[in-house]
Amino acid sequence: MSDSQKRILDLLAEKKISVDEAQRLLSLTEPGKDTGTQGPEESAGSKGKPRYFRVQVQPEAGSGKKSVNVRIPIALIRAGMKLTSLIPANASDEVNEALREKGVDFDVRNLKPEDFEELVAALTDLEVDVNGGREKVHIYVE
Amino acid sequence: MNYPPLLMRLGIGRRRFPVWLPLFLLWPVAAAVIIVLAPLVLLAALILWPSVWGKLVLLSGPMLLGILSALRGLELNLNLGSRLLQISFK
Repeated sequence: MSDSQKRILDLLAEKKISVDEAQRLLSLTEPGKDTGTQGPEESAGSKGKPRYFRVQVQPEAGSGKKSVNVRIPIALIRAGMKLTSLIPANASDEVNEALREKGVDFDVRNLKPEDFEELVAALTDLEVDVNGGREKVHIYVE
Repeated sequence: MNYPPLLMRLGIGRRRFPVWLPLFLLWPVAAAVIIVLAPLVLLAALILWPSVWGKLVLLSGPMLLGILSALRGLELNLNLGSRLLQISFK
């Protein structure tokens, strides 16, 4: 066992990181994990290509039990993006108008699959941690 | 190749054990329905092709299949205190 793996387990024992985070970090430290033999359920962080978008809201100790744990496959978002090509032009105009009424000046016809791929590639390096006092929000891709 | 989820785990309320729904039992039935409806959908697409709906009718099937296949791995665990919702696709 390497020093980094021991350090991760120490952090887990000290409850400074969650089991999910420890598992993810351990998978990154294990040699041979990036050989392409992983199943779809396993983390793909070590492969560099994200598979899942995760949002976790964990309550701080003693502040109730409300929690959220969402894992959305990137493939599902990609499939949803493809649906935009089926939106008829007049429907797009209506959507744009509704968005403009809400103060969002955006043309849905400008949504391109290439932009999404670029966004997903950028998400690989993104990790958002918000500690709001009563709960901790963690947004990342894996 | 992506293929549709085989199992769905569903937990609502305060159930100790979520229910596992065998989705794989539905897929043969769905495949049969798709095969039966395919000629009708093609005909509808041909008739509607001059309007914007033809393309929508023709491509909606493959797109829906793509979305179904992409559901594998989706996981929602919401614990809202008194209410609990767990949905996951395997």
